[in-house]
Amino acid sequence: MVAKYVIGIDLGTTNSALAYAVLGTDKPQVQVLPIPQLVAAATVEPRTLLPSFLYLAQEHEMKARSFDLLKAKGRAFVVGELARRQSAEMPDRTVLAAKSWLGHSKVDRHQPILPWNAPAEVPKISPVTASQRYLEHLADAWHAAIPDAPLAEQHVVLTVPASFDASARELTREAALAAGLPQSLVLLEEPQAALYAWLADEANRWRKQLRVGDTLLVCDIGGGTTDLTLIGVAEEAGELVLRRIAVGNHLLIGGDNMDLALAYRVAELFGEKGTKLDPWQSISLWHSCRTAKESLLAADAPKKHSIAVLGRGSKLIGKTVSVEVDREFVADLLVDGFFPKCDVQDRPIRRRTSGFQEIGLPFESDTAITRHIAEFLAQHGDPKTGPIQPTHVLFNGGVFKAQSLRTRLVETLASWSKKSPPRPLAGTMDLDHAVARGAAAYGWSKQRGGVRIRGGTARSYYVGIETSGLAIPGAPRPLRALCVVPIGMEEGTAVDVPSQEIGLVVGEPAHFRFFSSSVRKQDQPGNLLSSWNDAELTETDSLEATLPKDDSLPDSYVPVHFQSKLTELGVFELWCVGSQKKQRWKLEFSVREDAE
Amino acid sequence: MSRFFLAIHVWWQTLVDAEFGRQVAELLLRTPAALGLPSASEPVATKREPMAQQPPEPSKRPQRSDALTLLATLQREARLVDFLKESIGDYSDAQIGAAVRDIHRDASGVLDRLFKIQPIETHEEGTEIQVPAEADRYRLIGTVRGAPPHRGRLVHQGWEAAKCEVPEWSGNAVASQVIAPVEVELIA
Repeated sequence: MVAKYVIGIDLGTTNSALAYAVLGTDKPQVQVLPIPQLVAAATVEPRTLLPSFLYLAQEHEMKARSFDLLKAKGRAFVVGELARRQSAEMPDRTVLAAKSWLGHSKVDRHQPILPWNAPAEVPKISPVTASQRYLEHLADAWHAAIPDAPLAEQHVVLTVPASFDASARELTREAALAAGLPQSLVLLEEPQAALYAWLADEANRWRKQLRVGDTLLVCDIGGGTTDLTLIGVAEEAGELVLRRIAVGNHLLIGGDNMDLALAYRVAELFGEKGTKLDPWQSISLWHSCRTAKESLLAADAPKKHSIAVLGRGSKLIGKTVSVEVDREFVADLLVDGFFPKCDVQDRPIRRRTSGFQEIGLPFESDTAITRHIAEFLAQHGDPKTGPIQPTHVLFNGGVFKAQSLRTRLVETLASWSKKSPPRPLAGTMDLDHAVARGAAAYGWSKQRGGVRIRGGTARSYYVGIETSGLAIPGAPRPLRALCVVPIGMEEGTAVDVPSQEIGLVVGEPAHFRFFSSSVRKQDQPGNLLSSWNDAELTETDSLEATLPKDDSLPDSYVPVHFQSKLTELGVFELWCVGSQKKQRWKLEFSVREDAE
Repeated sequence: MSRFFLAIHVWWQTLVDAEFGRQVAELLLRTPAALGLPSASEPVATKREPMAQQPPEPSKRPQRSDALTLLATLQREARLVDFLKESIGDYSDAQIGAAVRDIHRDASGVLDRLFKIQPIETHEEGTEIQVPAEADRYRLIGTVRGAPPHRGRLVHQGWEAAKCEVPEWSGNAVASQVIAPVEVELIA
């Protein structure tokens, strides 16, 4: 069957969304799909966002069948708005930030580990399964709305953080296929999707806003993560082309941190008045703080904003308590706390943790997003000309609904490049749905033609090779890193990695440690690194392959070299190619082996 | 919705929305395509069941009025029923004001989301306007003289819902009249 639609899916850390466009039109007309979801027991409402929360139901709730949705009956879990609300009252039974766990290679993401730290009687699920459930929910919503166009037969684009490495992308893909998304699924980086949304909104006007030599900083701050991308504007055959230059590291800091920081301080103010808040009131305070943040950081903000917490029982007014919050108070806390003015030479402060650290998510210890941006621009700059000076900024993510935060970021960037201060890209702002809409617009232009952002892989990849030589008791053999994929390797290409032959033992799984880097642009396939600093290379899940025993092989080991391949769909594959018999074995991520 | 308002709604929607008009035409001709196929350009209502072309099965679920579900929504998100049921005589205006801000914000959020309420007349109130010939959405105050179109001073801009999406409720008979459930915090 021929696909009738392109579908863009934003699988977010805190909210997910689905947008679609019909293929048979002259221009992409992207629509956001309303997603029916439980908002209370037995109550279903369509919303344009699906909160990426999963609530594990209790026995009595399952018996009452209050969580039936569309064709799904008697389910043991709930996804969406109801689950988000439950996260306040039932934190032990609510899965949140599954996506952050997906990108965290210190745990086995196939194991039922979520909700993290939940008591033993709670049935847990794995980060991969949780992601699958969110995507299944979106798929069900699609099928209920448009029953004559099965999702598996459409062109589907799924977004991932630019900072996701090959292994996190592979896990996302695995969850997506398990949820019934098509094999032809394309993964697209979220900041790029945000830019595609802007391009689609601007139609042909974008060529007037950008010139050759411009550099765009896409700053995507979601609920839980910050994702940075640089995109350059160049010219090829008289046409403007966009090329992704660099992506930042995975930063676990976002809008939720700001709302929580404010809620924490406001709760203290309530405490001074002698009011202790219960969990329900805390979540309602969190909600009020988000509104207060948007109101007090808006362009024409009032001087004060009253934050009230309504009484808990049915007697509402009598038990309502409120505090007044000043604009300066909030600006100090949030604008200076998360976007402090800083120098381009400043770097995030990394506290050394001593002793045992809990394995939980590696939240950033420095919440200053401006310092993280300074580091990012310096890492990708030129030693001679200094840090990159972007000419334009594209905001994405709900955080930037607050005008003061946009202003502060632009001011700070301007102080770093006084000659040509960067300008925010003008256009429609739909910060909540831009990624999903951009993904659909990208899918449309992939099928029907249109401007595309090029750039290939954002990271280079390395296989760890232990050097041979005399073993020193108690000391590990020195490790070298063999570059197998350079930064910028294009989709649909393959590279034979020149290297010495590597002996693989037959009939036993062979393991390779695997590293990636978003900054080592100079490395080419075959380069062997003997030393590097930890900030440059990040270790991720190892790779493994088992070569079946083959009687025709003369030895117990096979000499091989590596071949890396990036498919048209952006899937990374690493192959071992036998030197003599030209046999090939694919290396797979061994996510399980690396868990601690 | 009463049939009268439904008829007006269909009339208006047919007038302003070409695609809707096409669907109405198909419905009047009773072609099977009018039932269940989504249009290419409109976001599709999500309540449709895949089996919509067959005669509907008698529903085993107890019915409940959309009005109750709407009340439950306003209570859940904005505490509106708590507020209206509380006797406010004893409280100072400041106390009531403190609570009302939140209730106002959340209740208007619900109205926006479910009904997308918009003013009918875009002219400023107090200005003189011409009443359109099709005046079904207008209420004329005072003595009507002569034939339309009439001119007059705009007193109230009017409101209308651009959509109506009350949540769907599927609970059991015991719970069908519940606006807010009893909440009990278990003792550990």
